[in-house]
Amino acid sequence: MKHLALALILSCLAAGLAGAQSDMTPRPAAVPAAGRGAGATTLPLIPPLVTPPHLPPSAPPGVSPSAPAPGEVDDQDALPPPSSAAQDLYAAARGDLLQIRMLLKNGHTQSTVGSGFLVGSGNLVVTNYHVVSQMALDPDVYTAEYVDTDGNRGPVELMAVDVLHDLAVMRIDRNGSGFFKVPERPVRLNQGQRLYSLGNPLDLGFAISEGAYNGVVKRSFYDQLMFGGPINSGMSGGPSVTGNGVVAGINVSKRRDGESVSFLVPVRHAQELLRKVATQERPPRDFNPVIAAQLLAHQREMVDRLLEEPLAIKSMGPYLVPVRESGQLRCWGRSNIKAATAYTSDAMSCAMEAAVYVSATQQTGHVSMTHQYIRSDSLHPLPFATLASRLFRTDQPRGAGNARLAKPHCTERFVHTRTLPLRAVTCVRAYRKFEGLYNFTLLTASTDAAESSLQSRLDISGVSYDNGMRVTQAFLGAFGRNPRR
Amino acid sequence: MNGQLKAAPSSHAGQPGPAPAAPPGLAMRGPWTIEMLARNGEVLHRHRATSLPIRVGRAYDNDFIVDDDHAAAHHVEIGAGADGNLVLRDLGSRNGVVHGGRRVQQVVLDGDTVVRMGHTSLRVRAAGFPVAPELLDRTMHGWEGLLPGAAGVLLAALVTLLVAWLLDAQPFELLYYVQAPAWGIGAALLWSSPWAFLNRLFGRHARLGRHLFIFGCGVAALVGVQLGARVLAYAGSYEWLTRYGSHAVVATVAGIVYFHLATIRPPLRRRLRALCAGAALLGSGLVLIANEQRHGRIADELYMSVLLPPQVRVSPDATVADYMDSVAAMRAQIDAERAKPGQ
Repeated sequence: MKHLALALILSCLAAGLAGAQSDMTPRPAAVPAAGRGAGATTLPLIPPLVTPPHLPPSAPPGVSPSAPAPGEVDDQDALPPPSSAAQDLYAAARGDLLQIRMLLKNGHTQSTVGSGFLVGSGNLVVTNYHVVSQMALDPDVYTAEYVDTDGNRGPVELMAVDVLHDLAVMRIDRNGSGFFKVPERPVRLNQGQRLYSLGNPLDLGFAISEGAYNGVVKRSFYDQLMFGGPINSGMSGGPSVTGNGVVAGINVSKRRDGESVSFLVPVRHAQELLRKVATQERPPRDFNPVIAAQLLAHQREMVDRLLEEPLAIKSMGPYLVPVRESGQLRCWGRSNIKAATAYTSDAMSCAMEAAVYVSATQQTGHVSMTHQYIRSDSLHPLPFATLASRLFRTDQPRGAGNARLAKPHCTERFVHTRTLPLRAVTCVRAYRKFEGLYNFTLLTASTDAAESSLQSRLDISGVSYDNGMRVTQAFLGAFGRNPRR
Repeated sequence: MNGQLKAAPSSHAGQPGPAPAAPPGLAMRGPWTIEMLARNGEVLHRHRATSLPIRVGRAYDNDFIVDDDHAAAHHVEIGAGADGNLVLRDLGSRNGVVHGGRRVQQVVLDGDTVVRMGHTSLRVRAAGFPVAPELLDRTMHGWEGLLPGAAGVLLAALVTLLVAWLLDAQPFELLYYVQAPAWGIGAALLWSSPWAFLNRLFGRHARLGRHLFIFGCGVAALVGVQLGARVLAYAGSYEWLTRYGSHAVVATVAGIVYFHLATIRPPLRRRLRALCAGAALLGSGLVLIANEQRHGRIADELYMSVLLPPQVRVSPDATVADYMDSVAAMRAQIDAERAKPGQ
């Protein structure tokens, strides 16, 4: 309880210093809700979880497209003061709530902190994969320990990971009290039902936050539960439970553009993972093949879903371009302001809203496609060609990007689809540690007109070579000229 | 030091290597010329003496007076030796006479012998001393002065104007098209002035006009090579032309530097050509190494980004199926790349 009190006092102080400009609904308590700006500048910020992608694509070919990250590092929301029900719940649960710390083997310095909980009365701990990803990927460099609410520490042993649903199961040297119940069968929840999310926000101490269950979100590739309450960085991996201790989901992330909208991994994935652990005797020595197999399964599903029906064709000026808009892939459009340039530019971009988190520097299992159509009545064809060339160029970043990827190889040709001649470039990079996985980038530019140019880009990360080729071919083959124009 | 002086080319003759030594008998036929030399072998001052002995020193009763605080009032005397050669003798000075790095009491002068007394280097030649044959004048005096200079500046201005026009994707603005040639002219003057200064230092004349002309032609060549490579690469699908375009730039710059150097010292053309070719090779090597370090490949770019109007192109289109075959063919290379140890 001391930790919680300390956390509250700290956030009050911070709020007071920042001028306490609250945009949150005041709660019936003496403690004012902390201003959103209070601590926002003190933490390193990640880009907002969801923004319309920038056009034209700024990332070079062969680089993993930036994708939303789980809410491990996030700006702060002060937690509302607990109700008495929450206080009782916390008092009952605190013995089974753990902080999971990643440590550098060399020197035992802390690198990341998350939360976890003991399942039932056994010695298995459930947390998020992204909390333990460093240990799974680089066991030579990282190790981990747990700290419980009384400050006791101990080693942890990673048993299994589920990269796709962002879950991991670990074994520790003590048993739970039986408070957190992970039922054999999926939990039935009613919208509006009260849930309590527990964890270790911002490494300030253990905390509980109260919110409502708001249904299943189908936007991300794998279903998530929407939780109408704050989840802060560091609470990742903690449980969200009903009033009687039944785990409904595992805290995973929060959207920065939404107010108190957070997401939970449905508990049934944790059930599956726990069942798997029950049948295995010892943990795998190397998690890379395990992760690779999961990513391969993911891309199979992703590409099948992407290509289950032909890509939709939209028209941009005289051109026909392929797009896909679905529950997972969402599209945006944009146009430039004509007074500032001697050309007009229309852009359209579709991207998957979620990606699979592998490590802080690698997100995969993602698809995005952009089209940009530029034209000019006033420019001579030669300056226009220079402009088009400039837009078609994407610079290689310093250090050739990611060390987890091999260097890119490209093939480039003039290609004629049924009705449109194109310049096509395909660049492919292999994953160093995950056999059979590649990132594909396809860049195309129309070559049929001197005064207009259609430039498109397709990025697919974390696919098998065959699936990368399938998507590339489907995308490339769908380009055309509008016969009516 | 004398050894160096002997080997250094006489700047007056403009001839590399020492001139042939005079046969002994000729040395005794006057008149004689005493030459004061700079450290690099250039003649600073000449004095003719009609009779022997010639006395040299700071005093006003000498035949050749040197304004050197480190020379004695009567420092040396040049006279005929026993075997008919010219001989230089020290007259008991404090600093003495140095020849071949050693202090000597007297030394035989053969026309190429350089001796140092105090801070002054001297050489004595008789009237019959054979000089090197006349050199062919390759200086191209017609390509000098205002006209080539103006042509060079104009060329630089036009080239920058062309590049500015190509890069302009904004609505028309007069200032932009006034500034662009101004930048070109400024660059021409900035680049050519140091070369003119070096020319004045080592070649007597500044020859600014010629250097401006070289700059103008060089910039035109640079841009021409770049544009030409792009057009060819796009027209015929010769992607390597843009992929290794920086080497053409290195070669062109080496060519520009060669013409500047050859303007300063025209007789050294062959040596300068070798020097510039070596520098170009070194530059290309550095480009390759830098690319490998930065991107893990020796080419400048990952793919050709040039897009030109459709009329320019002559190479045929592939079908989508052909293209996908070439994508599939990359796989072996990519898998081999994965197997390599991480960077």
